[in-house]
Amino acid sequence: MGIGRRVFLKGLGAGIAGVTSGSILTPDKLGATESAGSKEIAGSEEFMGVLIDTTRCVGCRSCEVACAEAHNFPVPDIEDESVFETPRQPTESQWTVVNRFETEKGEVFVKKQCMHCNQPACAAACLVNAMRKTKEGPVVWGENCMGCRYCMFSCPFDIPKFEYGKWNPKIQKCNLCWERLKKGEKPACVEACPEEALTFGSRRNMIEEANRRIYGSPGEYVSHIYGEHEVGGTGYLYISPVPFEQIGFPTDLGTTAYPEYTTGFLFSVPFVLILWPALLSGISYATKWKEEKRKEGGTR
Amino acid sequence: MEGFTYVDIFATKGPEYLLVISALLTFIFFWKMLSTPAKKVYEVVESIVPAVGKWFRLPAEGIYFHQGHAWAKMENEDVVNVGIDDFAQKLVGKIDSIEVPKVGSAVTQGEKGWTLKVDSKSIDMLSPVDGKVLAINRKLVESPESINEDPYGDAWLMKVQVPKVSANLKNLLSGKVAGRWMEEVREDLLSRMNYNLGTVYQDGGVPVNGIARNLDQEKWDEVAKDFFLTL
Amino acid sequence: MKGKAAAVEIKNFKEFVAFILSELKPKGKLLTPFNVISAPIMLLGAVLMVIHLTGFAEVTHLSQEFPWGIWIGFNVMVGVAFAGGAYVLTFVVYVLRSEKYHPIIRATVLNGFLAYVFYAGALALDVGRPWNMVNVLVGNSFGVGSILFLVAWHFLLYMVAEFIEISPAFAEWLGWKRVRKFLCTLTLGAVIFGITLSTLHQSGLGALFMMAKGKIHPLWYSEYVPILFLVSSIFAGISLVIFEGSISHRVFKDKLSYEYRTSYKDMMVGLGKICAGAMFVYFFLKLVLLIHGGHWSLLNTPMGYWYLIEVVGLVAIPCFLFLQGARYKNLTLIRVATVLAMLGIVINRLNYSVIAYKWWIPFSQRYVPSLGEIVIALTFVFINIWAFRWIAMRMPIFEAPPAWAVEEDEREEEDFAFEPKLGVTMADGGKKMVERER
Repeated sequence: MGIGRRVFLKGLGAGIAGVTSGSILTPDKLGATESAGSKEIAGSEEFMGVLIDTTRCVGCRSCEVACAEAHNFPVPDIEDESVFETPRQPTESQWTVVNRFETEKGEVFVKKQCMHCNQPACAAACLVNAMRKTKEGPVVWGENCMGCRYCMFSCPFDIPKFEYGKWNPKIQKCNLCWERLKKGEKPACVEACPEEALTFGSRRNMIEEANRRIYGSPGEYVSHIYGEHEVGGTGYLYISPVPFEQIGFPTDLGTTAYPEYTTGFLFSVPFVLILWPALLSGISYATKWKEEKRKEGGTR
Repeated sequence: MEGFTYVDIFATKGPEYLLVISALLTFIFFWKMLSTPAKKVYEVVESIVPAVGKWFRLPAEGIYFHQGHAWAKMENEDVVNVGIDDFAQKLVGKIDSIEVPKVGSAVTQGEKGWTLKVDSKSIDMLSPVDGKVLAINRKLVESPESINEDPYGDAWLMKVQVPKVSANLKNLLSGKVAGRWMEEVREDLLSRMNYNLGTVYQDGGVPVNGIARNLDQEKWDEVAKDFFLTL
Repeated sequence: MKGKAAAVEIKNFKEFVAFILSELKPKGKLLTPFNVISAPIMLLGAVLMVIHLTGFAEVTHLSQEFPWGIWIGFNVMVGVAFAGGAYVLTFVVYVLRSEKYHPIIRATVLNGFLAYVFYAGALALDVGRPWNMVNVLVGNSFGVGSILFLVAWHFLLYMVAEFIEISPAFAEWLGWKRVRKFLCTLTLGAVIFGITLSTLHQSGLGALFMMAKGKIHPLWYSEYVPILFLVSSIFAGISLVIFEGSISHRVFKDKLSYEYRTSYKDMMVGLGKICAGAMFVYFFLKLVLLIHGGHWSLLNTPMGYWYLIEVVGLVAIPCFLFLQGARYKNLTLIRVATVLAMLGIVINRLNYSVIAYKWWIPFSQRYVPSLGEIVIALTFVFINIWAFRWIAMRMPIFEAPPAWAVEEDEREEEDFAFEPKLGVTMADGGKKMVERER
């Protein structure tokens, strides 16, 4: 894959994107739309999700460009291939990155961004509800954030990034193009992808589609959808030709949603708040009685 | 857990229970050790402050103690000898002089009776009886060190005419009860010294300057007043 | 109990201002070694704080990989653990009504109050948008599922409770008799409230780490971290009481009340016993969790050795030293144990936040606090000490309360002892109606 092909595909992709990559979802459009999502976004009853088929990704990074353009970030230089030398993380000015991995089945490219978990650790962590899970699926950040960075500490994927050094810092992470979804548009990265590696729709449909591909092309995929059950399920789902450890995914996260780890403690709080004062008052009363008996009995 | 092979989720329960049992057993020993001072400490303490009876001389009969460490003894029907007990003088050490009320003045049980002058400090003591002062032991007032020789006999401080003798004596301690009280005083003293191994007297004797000095170098008079109930 | 003569009775605002101004004058030597060291650091710290807040330059070494640094890991976590002496001792003194630790209770509560105030200050400096901290308290966007939300609220409420507990000392300083009387009626309630809150936020600080599963080394991470933090806060707080008491014994020598001086050694030994007991429990809890987690094979790794240093060297050994110190009534042993225990707490809290956090990252890429962060961290500690000293030199913290307060308390006790309505239970079990005595 030379640079030429990527540039060509980028140009092609930009032109084709609006036509073939799926239809535009408008607020009042109700019916099924091709293989993508089935319901409107605003007021959607189920989570939306994105399926990433890593066998289709060619590493053109059009998604990175589209994301930067959609959110007023500096556009990354996609000509520079040196970025693939070591796996990257999203940054406070780049919500998504594409990484390259050498595997037994050749080069595999993986797009990395917020996973939009079903039960996000970041949203549970946020004490002012700045980070919140919308019922449509995207996990979004709001301006009432106080910059405590507890979301960063808790995220199993280490996604949220902080604008250190700014006097009014934000937490930066992919928001599934929430502002575009509300207008009936698809996420910028999904629209920009020339290879249809990214598919947007309801999470339920995305899982069905993933299964269809896995079982429809035996041997091509590892029979696992990453994100189907990990940490209780995520909005971004991945299918891969090789085991997921080989392409940079943490595979030891378990299937428990991360907020569940805190429920044991949180749910005992009201008990302590009711039980302790009663216990302590009782003890204090008992010792007061004992003290008075002692004072009466004593002579001075 | 992928669901294809056997996984025992309770594998560690056995060892955990064993650990708990050993923890509880260890705790018993730990608790015992924590709550009793070491044997060595007991031995040293005994050598410093021997049991009551050996160290604080408690007379056999007829002496009534006030909890402020003054004593009263009936001389005859309504005249009572009054003095300072052995503990008091060991506590303060060498007394320079004693300020006493004038003959003919009244004293009240439980209120200030006289003042000890030690170094530059004045330490009040409480009178054990109500009555009128009949006589002062001039010899004692001028050379108080003679208390040490016979604290409950010759070293009487004042003779007091007490109209309601039996009523007064009811509020004082004697015999076995006095013995128990001195035990408590000894315990109190020891716990304040905190079994401090730093204050070892090789000969087991009493420091000339008084025990109170060990508890607080500068403000030892407050220690004394605390024991004499005049703080 | 001897008390000071009544100093002041402030009746109007003008007197108040004059009094405060007179109290602002320094008492005692200005050029002590502590002052000489701490003052320049505090000044530098103040400058650095301004630089940090304005974003003028990057003061910290915080990064995207390590979002929390020593201001959280040390100032907040360790500071709060050390302030745990207040809830333990108020339990012993006011709920169990043990007179033994009464002389030291005010200093402990004052330290607890100041610790929370200044470490809340450290938090306010650390967060990126301090003005939005008010969103935790007011508004319609409460993250009630967040443990940090709980901790934040508890911090605030606890500060209020501690303030109420220490306020009689302030009222005595100002000579406000009626205010003091009212505040004293609130003490027991504030104590009970404070103990409840403390239980929850000491363990809550541990619960903050629950969602960092996988990022904190398995030898430390466990679902029972909250309990570990709670138990360790007991001996952390009491260790600080011993440490601070030993220093105060010398520094505030002239202020110490008679009760304090005569019971000092007794108190220190008793506190050492409490520490020994709590550390014994903590050690065995750690052992149980080691077995429960099944990670004992990890003991043979560098992090495993570090774990052993912490648990054996800085928990088991000081526990033993406290035990021996208590048995032999040896204050030196107890003091050595105190220092080791405190070091253990510092290392423990730092482990969770920055050392055992993402332990796999090689040292060259790890978070190491910048000099600026260290200076600011020290500044908060020193401000705490300065504030404590200022108050202890002027208000009845170590010294006995003024005579009028002592009389008031004694009258209160007499009033309580006889309850004309219910009658008094005599030694033989019979009841006797008693007149109110004065």
